[in-house]
Amino acid sequence: MLVMREPMRVALALITTMIMLGGIYGLLGVHFIAAFQILIYVGAVMVFMVYVIMLLELREASGSQRYSRLLVPGVGACALLVGALGVSVSTRADAFVPNAGAPAFSLSQFSSEFLSRYWLEFELTSVLLVAAIVAALAVIKVSRRAQGIAQTIAQDKTLG
Amino acid sequence: MDKISLLLWLSGALFSLGLLGVIVRRNALVMLMCMELMLNGVNLSLVTFSHQRGDAAGAVLVFLVFVVATAEIALAIPIVLLLVRHKRSMDIARFSDLKG
Amino acid sequence: MPHLLALIALLPLVGFLLNGIFATEIGGRRASNGMASIIGCGFPLAAFALTIAAFLQLKAGGYAPIVEPLYQWAVIGERTFDVAFYFDRLSAIMTLVVTGVGSVIHIYSTGYMHEDKSFGRFFAYLNLFLFFMLLLVLGRSMLVLFVGWEGVGLASYLLIGFWFDELANAKAGKKAFITNRIGDAGFLLGMFLLYRACGTLDMATISTMFSGVSGTVPLVSASLVGLLLFVGATGKSAQIPLYVWLPDAMAGPTPVSALIHAATMVTAGVYLVARMSGVFTQAPEASQVMAVIGVATAFFAATIALVQTDIKKVLAYSTVSQLGFMFLALGVGAYGVAIFHVVTHAFFKACLFLGAGSVIHALGGEQDIRKMGGLRKKIPLTFWTFVIATAAIAGIPGLAGFFSKDEILWYAFSSQSGGSPWLWAVAALTALMTAFYMFRLLWLTFLGPSRMDHDVEHHVHESPLSMTGVLMLLALLSAIGGYISIPHFLESQLPLPRVVESLEHYEHTLLYVSIALAFAGLGLAAFLYSGPSSRPEGLKQSLLPVHRLLSGKYFVDELYERTLSRPLVWISENVLLRGSDRAVLDGALNGIAALAQQTASVLGKVQTGSLHTYALFVVVGIVGALVWSWRHV
Repeated sequence: MLVMREPMRVALALITTMIMLGGIYGLLGVHFIAAFQILIYVGAVMVFMVYVIMLLELREASGSQRYSRLLVPGVGACALLVGALGVSVSTRADAFVPNAGAPAFSLSQFSSEFLSRYWLEFELTSVLLVAAIVAALAVIKVSRRAQGIAQTIAQDKTLG
Repeated sequence: MDKISLLLWLSGALFSLGLLGVIVRRNALVMLMCMELMLNGVNLSLVTFSHQRGDAAGAVLVFLVFVVATAEIALAIPIVLLLVRHKRSMDIARFSDLKG
Repeated sequence: MPHLLALIALLPLVGFLLNGIFATEIGGRRASNGMASIIGCGFPLAAFALTIAAFLQLKAGGYAPIVEPLYQWAVIGERTFDVAFYFDRLSAIMTLVVTGVGSVIHIYSTGYMHEDKSFGRFFAYLNLFLFFMLLLVLGRSMLVLFVGWEGVGLASYLLIGFWFDELANAKAGKKAFITNRIGDAGFLLGMFLLYRACGTLDMATISTMFSGVSGTVPLVSASLVGLLLFVGATGKSAQIPLYVWLPDAMAGPTPVSALIHAATMVTAGVYLVARMSGVFTQAPEASQVMAVIGVATAFFAATIALVQTDIKKVLAYSTVSQLGFMFLALGVGAYGVAIFHVVTHAFFKACLFLGAGSVIHALGGEQDIRKMGGLRKKIPLTFWTFVIATAAIAGIPGLAGFFSKDEILWYAFSSQSGGSPWLWAVAALTALMTAFYMFRLLWLTFLGPSRMDHDVEHHVHESPLSMTGVLMLLALLSAIGGYISIPHFLESQLPLPRVVESLEHYEHTLLYVSIALAFAGLGLAAFLYSGPSSRPEGLKQSLLPVHRLLSGKYFVDELYERTLSRPLVWISENVLLRGSDRAVLDGALNGIAALAQQTASVLGKVQTGSLHTYALFVVVGIVGALVWSWRHV
């Protein structure tokens, strides 16, 4: 995904990755999250991205560069990051509280806890969605206004 | 290496690769997709911990991340579209108006 | 009566505030000229009445000094500085002169300044001056005296430059103030030394400490302190080298010249030395310097007065000369005699200045005596008062000046603490010159044929009663004032110096010599000026270079300008302005600002505007945070 040139191919690679991740969730026993992964991520988010890529009809010109200037430092830094994360995970393994043999929790358990113990997060999601709607409206308005101004300028030019 | 450690290594790798993509790629849409990859990595680690502890807390957070990611994409893509229309280029390296 | 002394000092202050607010532009000129006169003269007269009451109280108490503490000014650590008033024989005499002569000059001013547009402001400033002068003479500690000292300097500046529309007047005011300040530097140093040595600034205590009566003698050289205090006195009382402001101060209105520059302010230096007599009796070197400078100033100023042509300038140099006499007396230890001369000088010099003012008023502003003459029949009251005052200053026997000047000459000759025949000889020569130039002034102004401009001559009129009444009063005092034997009155406080025994029998001889000198001056002036004008002209032509030197006032002002003013201005311009102010201060500030700017521009390079770089920084930050968490969590 990182090395492919066309963005369409990158999107398809990402879709594949997400489906595989959904599979992993399913194997871990959290089926509903796997379902949500496919539905929301693949079905909404990536579809939107594919739609935008198709809308813009992007063709990468053959001479344009794929990578930014920071390729080498970036690779180095991220290798360090992987190493640091791995070391954190492996050396602190004993700090985890294993619950060996605990049954995977079920959907009903999740729902009841979601609405009782974690109700704050539930409300926060609604607030967040409202905020997103408002922001989307604002973006539409700004772009409409910019369009209107551009139109009047163009009209003045043709008329005057 | 047991299952939990492997999954955590995997989530760390996904996260780092996503971050590397943000640093390295020039196309704006590809950068957004790499950010989605990062979010997925985080999701995986959350699910892994939730599985390990048998607790629903991790799953709840995953749910939240889904919502956030959706909202973010819904808004980020139009913004990128507007930017691209304004600058007539998809190359992030040309967007340096905030310099200095 | 409680707070009697404070009231004496504060009443003129109230007058200043009332007149200053209501009779000037600040208050919209609500008070009329009449109202301003009543306020302006009423408060000083009330102060005079209270002074008489205080004097009677003093006398009833057997002349034990009245001490009146007012309030505590400052407390610094364990040291306190109080404002307190002190009334003993010396203060009594000075206060009576200040309030008495001051009040009558205020009354004179109502007539003289009648048509002036800033009538209210004038009286406000005059009252302010009286307030500060009273602080000076009534103060118990040197601190209060110094407040009064500076205050009279301020009032003098305000009044000299009263008609400040003319640049020359403003410059004269500035010159007076600055010259005074130079003297004040010496005063301050003397004060600091005294405070360190004695632990107090109370003048009576300091005097007794120095005289050794109380046992502990202060560990400071009395001569050093005396010299420093004398430097202050030179500034205020116009001795060499700081006398240059007094002739220029004639730019102010004539009542100001009479009050401040003849009767009261310039005698502040004499008062200071008399007050600190305890120090000076222990300081023979300082006293000798004082006597020499005093007599030199007297001689020097008298020579200049011989050839001056402005009526007020003659009187100004005469004042400088008489002040020199007073310092001569102080220098040989005759403190009481000096104060006696202060009092008689106040009477006749004020009368002379006010008479000159009357002449100027009559002639509509003319001040050049070459354009006067023949005024005897036209303004007789002014003439006769002027005659009496001139005779007094010349030392004609029987009048006030004779007694005081004769005593000074006697003690200059014979005092054990510094008298010498040389001092006497120079002083006697100066007395001769004094008589001569004063009678010259009288002749040229009033007698002989008229040399006035024609239209001026038509408008000559006698001054109103407010002016002539005061002249008559002062002339009377000049005549009989000598019979008040002040030196003996002060003797218990300021003892007269001891006389060298071998010279005692010269007393009468010197008395006759003084009388002879006075009449010789009169005769010489009469000879030169009552005849045809060819006589003085011939004398002038034959001594032309001398005449030029004297009319140019020995070119002292030009000397000061060349040696002091110009280098100072150069230093201020180049070293201080360009060098320190612009280069150092502005440079430092601008340098700091430039440094901040450069640092900011260097640090600002972090913001490249490139998202890739920011993301890289994020990664580096995360790695750093992880590594940090290994150690600390």
